[in-house]
Amino acid sequence: MDLVWADYANLVLNGLAEGLLIALPALAVTLVFGVARFPNAATGDLVSVGGFGAFGAYKVSGGSFLMAAIGGLAAGAAAGLASWQLVFKPVARHGSVTLLLTSIGLGFLIRALLGLGFGNEHNMFELPMMRAWTMGAIAINRMDGIVALLALATMIGVFALLHATPAGRVLRAMADNVDLARVAGINTARASAWMWSLVGVVCGIAGVLVGLKTQVSPEVGAELLLAAFAAAVVGGLGNPLGAVAGAVVLGVAQELSTPFVGFTYKIALSYAVMLLVLLWRPQGLFNRVQGVR
Amino acid sequence: MNRINRRQFIIGGAVSTLAAALPAFAQAPASFRIGALNPITGAGANYGAGMQKSILFAAAEINAAGGAAGRKFEVFAEDDQTTPNAGVLAAKKLIEVNKVQAILGTWASGVSLAVMPLTNDANALLMHTSGAVALADPKLNAKKMSFRYQGSSKHLSKAFMKAAQKEGLKRPAVMASNNPATAPHAEGFRKEWLAAGGQLTDFVLYEPNRTSYRSELQQVLRSKPDGIILSGYAPDGVLIIRDWFQSGTKMKWIMPGFAANPEFLKALGNEPTEGIVVVESIVNEGAAAYKAFAKQYESVMGKPAASNVYAAMCYDMVNVLALAIEAAGANASSAVIAQKVHEVTTGPGQQVGSFAEGRTLLKQGKRINYEGASSSVDFDDENDVDPTFAAFVIKSGAWQRTYLINR
Repeated sequence: MDLVWADYANLVLNGLAEGLLIALPALAVTLVFGVARFPNAATGDLVSVGGFGAFGAYKVSGGSFLMAAIGGLAAGAAAGLASWQLVFKPVARHGSVTLLLTSIGLGFLIRALLGLGFGNEHNMFELPMMRAWTMGAIAINRMDGIVALLALATMIGVFALLHATPAGRVLRAMADNVDLARVAGINTARASAWMWSLVGVVCGIAGVLVGLKTQVSPEVGAELLLAAFAAAVVGGLGNPLGAVAGAVVLGVAQELSTPFVGFTYKIALSYAVMLLVLLWRPQGLFNRVQGVR
Repeated sequence: MNRINRRQFIIGGAVSTLAAALPAFAQAPASFRIGALNPITGAGANYGAGMQKSILFAAAEINAAGGAAGRKFEVFAEDDQTTPNAGVLAAKKLIEVNKVQAILGTWASGVSLAVMPLTNDANALLMHTSGAVALADPKLNAKKMSFRYQGSSKHLSKAFMKAAQKEGLKRPAVMASNNPATAPHAEGFRKEWLAAGGQLTDFVLYEPNRTSYRSELQQVLRSKPDGIILSGYAPDGVLIIRDWFQSGTKMKWIMPGFAANPEFLKALGNEPTEGIVVVESIVNEGAAAYKAFAKQYESVMGKPAASNVYAAMCYDMVNVLALAIEAAGANASSAVIAQKVHEVTTGPGQQVGSFAEGRTLLKQGKRINYEGASSSVDFDDENDVDPTFAAFVIKSGAWQRTYLINR
């Protein structure tokens, strides 16, 4: 059947909604990579912790979405900080392969603990039904709108923190050259703790949003990990703006491809886009090639 | 690199208690080792724990009655994570390390398809609750040692076709999750529907575990169907129904019972689910075995037994296995036991609802026919049961049975 422009506009909107949701874990991946120099495979599981924090607070408070948001954020921040203090800090000097393997192990551990503690059922928020906003043939799901706005607000907050506060300057200095930062008198241990709390907050918010949109279970975050990695790679690992842009580009490309390749191959298509980007710009869309002296 | 399989973890407590409870007589016949391989995590998580517990309490019941032909059941529990690779790892461990002679209770078709070659090679029995037609393939189930306790998707497709006709649909569309059970079920529906002279406006396969199915839904709605057959699971079903309801269009939905489960109803609330037609095989409510099962299930799980038809199937698996061993004798090989399964469940014979009842009759040399908790458990030539299906309509957040579907 023929698609009119409004159908493509709807696909773009769906892609944006999906992309902005993936952008949060992608941002968490890239923040860790920028400062601690390893791909954190437990990122998705921090998202799950945020989801459970949100769902727990939602249940305990008798159905308050505000408490859910606070609970998710707090659980994510605590899990992020704890993962640094208890797990990554002790092995930090062993190099990135050790850290990567440690993060895979941590992911297993978190999933198993969540399963043992809360069961493996799918927990779903009871959302009020809201009619979509419609403008002619274009429809915006309110939940998608809320999720996208909250995701955008989180990202703006993170960028403001990175670029307009002393703590952000410290983190950027560490991302640039950790030894130089230390020599210049920066307390890198404290800055790392900050960074991991921030990553935890981002994951916690992602957990709240994913939980609201889909469900909360021990695996819910891990399902997002591959897409988040792909987005971070497309944008250029270590580049926060790139991770967000990468997630949006992949999300939109994926949805726009569906009239041509169908729905079962759209995921493969987003990885094909990733391959093309890497062939064209191996450093990612937003990173500069840096000479090594 | 990040998608390395999750390590399966063992539900250990129950196993060790069972093992410890075994008597240490040197003269007692060897125990019969069973692997309980169930979807504790993943898409089947809402059923898996109940299935595993049912295997455990059914085995305890057999052991309390003195064992099957004197052989006590020893159960080793594993999680298949509702994924084939985790299922294969767990099945290998059960067969090679625990030396089990039967694996009971795989749920997802992908898992059963992957595990069956292993049980076949090891001459072990496999009893599963999966729907994929391919599981009845004589090449796959070559030794006839695998048994299906659930209606195959062939049966379910036909039931859906009848339900769609009965609901008065003229030009429905199909949305199906792309996995080995729901996709062939949808394909089967398409075949049956077109063969009966019907037409379809669209047929969409979607990927599981996505955060949104809006694009898929928008495409299907563009084709202006008068109803949608939704063949998926609860998590994706919730997203699709919620999106549809928020779009404000009217639609008649027909979906399988395993998708429209209590979690699905709770997450969506009453309004969006009102009027959805659910097709599901029904448990054998009147049977003595069902009553015995339901009582134990409710005390162990604290949930209504009707919410987990697969747990009832698992309960039947253990009882059928015990009766087959009783009929085959204490020293029989698994192959002989598999042959006896038909004899104790199907065909003429006095109906029995429990192992103890069946054993008494078998000792008197009589033929028996086990009448199970999940269905009457009568196997056809392909080792499939043929359960009864019913159509329900969701009213105020609960299923209400509307009619039985005769196939």
